[in-house]
Amino acid sequence: MTSRSRPRRLGDWATLALALLIGLFGLIFVGGGGYLASLGGSLYYLICGIVLIASGGLMAMGRLLGGWLFLLAWAGTIVWTIYEVGFDWWGWLPRLFGPTLIAILVVLSLPVLRRQDTIRPVSRGAA
Amino acid sequence: MRKPALFAATILGGMISTSLALAQVPPSNSSPGEDDTPPSAAHQEGPGKFGAPSPYAPQAPGVNAANLPDIAEIGIDEIPTAVPQRDANPAREDWPAYGRDSNQSRYSPLDQLTPQNVGQLKRAFIYHTGSKPGPGQQNKWAAETTPIKVGDSLYMCSAMNDMMRIDATNGKEIWRHKAGVKYHSIPYTAACKGVTYYTSSTVPEGQPCHERIMEATLDMRLIQVDAETGKLCEGFGHGGQVNLMQGMGESVPGFVSMTTPPPVVNGIAIVNHEVLDGQRRWAPSGVIRGYDAESGKFVWAWDVNNPDDHHQPEPGKHYSRGTPNSWAAMTGDDALGLVYVPTGNSAADYYSAMRSDKENAVSSSVVALDVRTGEPRWVFQTVHKDVWDYDLGSQVTKFDYRHADGSVTPALLVPTKRGQTFVLDRTTGKPLPEFPVVEKPAPSPGPMSDDPRAPTQPYSVAFPRLSFPDLKESDMWGMSPIDQLYCRIKFRKARYLGEFTPPAVDKPNIEYPGYNGGSDWGSMAYDPNAGIVIANWNSTPMYDQLITRRKADKLGLRPIDNPHYDPSGGGAEGNGAQADTPYGIVVSPFWNQYTGMMCNKPPYGMIEAIDVKTKKVLWSRPLGTARANGPWNMPTGLPLNIGTPNNGGSVVTKGGLVFVAAATDNQIRAIDLKTGKDVWSDVLPGGGQANPMTYEVNGKQYVAIMAGGHHFMMTPVTDQLVVYALPDKAQ
Repeated sequence: MTSRSRPRRLGDWATLALALLIGLFGLIFVGGGGYLASLGGSLYYLICGIVLIASGGLMAMGRLLGGWLFLLAWAGTIVWTIYEVGFDWWGWLPRLFGPTLIAILVVLSLPVLRRQDTIRPVSRGAA
Repeated sequence: MRKPALFAATILGGMISTSLALAQVPPSNSSPGEDDTPPSAAHQEGPGKFGAPSPYAPQAPGVNAANLPDIAEIGIDEIPTAVPQRDANPAREDWPAYGRDSNQSRYSPLDQLTPQNVGQLKRAFIYHTGSKPGPGQQNKWAAETTPIKVGDSLYMCSAMNDMMRIDATNGKEIWRHKAGVKYHSIPYTAACKGVTYYTSSTVPEGQPCHERIMEATLDMRLIQVDAETGKLCEGFGHGGQVNLMQGMGESVPGFVSMTTPPPVVNGIAIVNHEVLDGQRRWAPSGVIRGYDAESGKFVWAWDVNNPDDHHQPEPGKHYSRGTPNSWAAMTGDDALGLVYVPTGNSAADYYSAMRSDKENAVSSSVVALDVRTGEPRWVFQTVHKDVWDYDLGSQVTKFDYRHADGSVTPALLVPTKRGQTFVLDRTTGKPLPEFPVVEKPAPSPGPMSDDPRAPTQPYSVAFPRLSFPDLKESDMWGMSPIDQLYCRIKFRKARYLGEFTPPAVDKPNIEYPGYNGGSDWGSMAYDPNAGIVIANWNSTPMYDQLITRRKADKLGLRPIDNPHYDPSGGGAEGNGAQADTPYGIVVSPFWNQYTGMMCNKPPYGMIEAIDVKTKKVLWSRPLGTARANGPWNMPTGLPLNIGTPNNGGSVVTKGGLVFVAAATDNQIRAIDLKTGKDVWSDVLPGGGQANPMTYEVNGKQYVAIMAGGHHFMMTPVTDQLVVYALPDKAQ
């Protein structure tokens, strides 16, 4: 407990990696989704991308809210999938398979985020 | 942290992708791009503008591989009366023609194999044709061969046109005629769909060449050999061969070629040929010709832009250039004295402004030619002013249609790449009243002001369509949301107005159904007793764009007869120079070119059974699993029935089975005709892109499939004919 200014446990590193991955996906979503929207396509990617950037950013900062934001985006994606393709299994595959794997990782990271979130003011003070 | 994050993304992506089932699609080396160069008006200045060789130029050495002299003409009345042919009334255990009988029904009355016992089917033998790519040769192979069977022998051709007779019980080669076709004569594909069994009308039984095997070759020869010995029939043509380059004018090896068995109708052998797509507007003619099956002498020609002259061109002259070619297998009709010719497009498939009215009247049509004169008796057009390569790839099937009042009409089943299936009265070419054809509005005139599209296109509204509804953005697919997003962008960047979206220069267009079908050369099988049609088809959209001549030059697109032609720059099914026109064409599957996955969601291939009487779909299901397919062309090994692109047809038997390979999962399967469920399957040594066939010898039923593979379908190429039968104890 000598320094809390940087992550040091495996869980912390994994959560940070996950946060950056989510943020990266968010950037791709915003970039590609913005272009798609400009072509008259679906707004989903743009909106979801903004949420993912926020989620990844907050998670990287050790904020529990970031994890919950991803799970919100994931839940929203389910609703959107049903809206777009109903219960066509092939249609679910690209929309939800990968995101669900990430959602599982996010759930696994929630305890880490909860711990980081509670000690955050201390570490900020120490920085 | 950037690097580990990317690494994690890669790992994750890899993990996701390997667990997914994905379709295999053909390759492409370029994605369409835009070019703001204004279109030139050069085409108005005629064929010489882009430096086309003179059509009067002598044929390059090697075009006429056998260096055969010209053939003389013979009057129709000098032709001996034809004797009945084997395929008119095949013996129960035989398969004497490409589609088994002269109806090309692909129905066998054999019933030893049933849904109950077919599960015990085992390999009886494998026969090697000996034809596959040699060292250093580009893989252009797709044998597509269906053997025929008469007596106790199979007769077949190799992908490079060697003809063989083999023992139908053990695969032992009895004779082989080496055709000597050279590698440079391969057009787009080295294929030989089959040979024709011909019984002579003049040579008595027991003498050489009473029964003959005939084939048409990649290098444009018509060859007849004695069925018994495999020796050339000296009385046919020049020493058993006829040079079909006669009258074709300037050409180079591989520009025109033949891959289907020529039908013999009332003693006339009718030949069509493939003209390599996408090369130049003034490509060699698509002329259809009739020859005396007995002597090989020329009888008539049907030359589209020269319809009143049925003779061979004078020396130094040639048949009219650039006319629609017919590459699919033709169907003969002895009773009506007709041959049904499935036509393709005029040369330069994707640009129609330079076509004559005469060409526009007969392209992408079924044309019924009188076999005595070569004169069309009727024409039924399936696409007006085709710029989508929707040529007719399927062989049409004859059948007797029984109306509700009990009367019978001789009918014709016409499958199309569009998934529309037309049912015509074959005496008139008119649709049967039960299967009306409606002209529906199509996108027109379209963005190319100099090349307007037809305002309507024909639809066979009563026959179940072999296609899915028009694509939507939400149909885009991928292994993750990111490649799905990529495909959604690609979808939105293209012009897409549904079926018949016109190709244009300013942006790509989506072509759906794609040029691989719907139905393609596998054609349909028809069970005449049950009145059931078996049809397999594709759902593989294409992404097309016209490009300016400057851009085409930049891409290195040159026609095959240009000295600087680069075969890898564009082939018949991909990018094309379309020389002599203002535009080249870039064509690729509508796919994610980074992963090799189609952009639309599965299934990509289907098979279904349709009751002709009720017009109902009895069953419909995806054809082909994901076992041999995956992203980056990696096999996933998954038994998921995703439905893959397929090429090749089916057989339906009295035993209640459908045999089909065709799919890119490299399997052959038996399907229960009643339920549509797989009741047997086997993994082939190569791709099963061929029509299977079945026969019986000594009371044992066999099923044969050429596992030749297909270069374009990216399935493994082999030279193996695989033949199955029940083990002796199981019969």
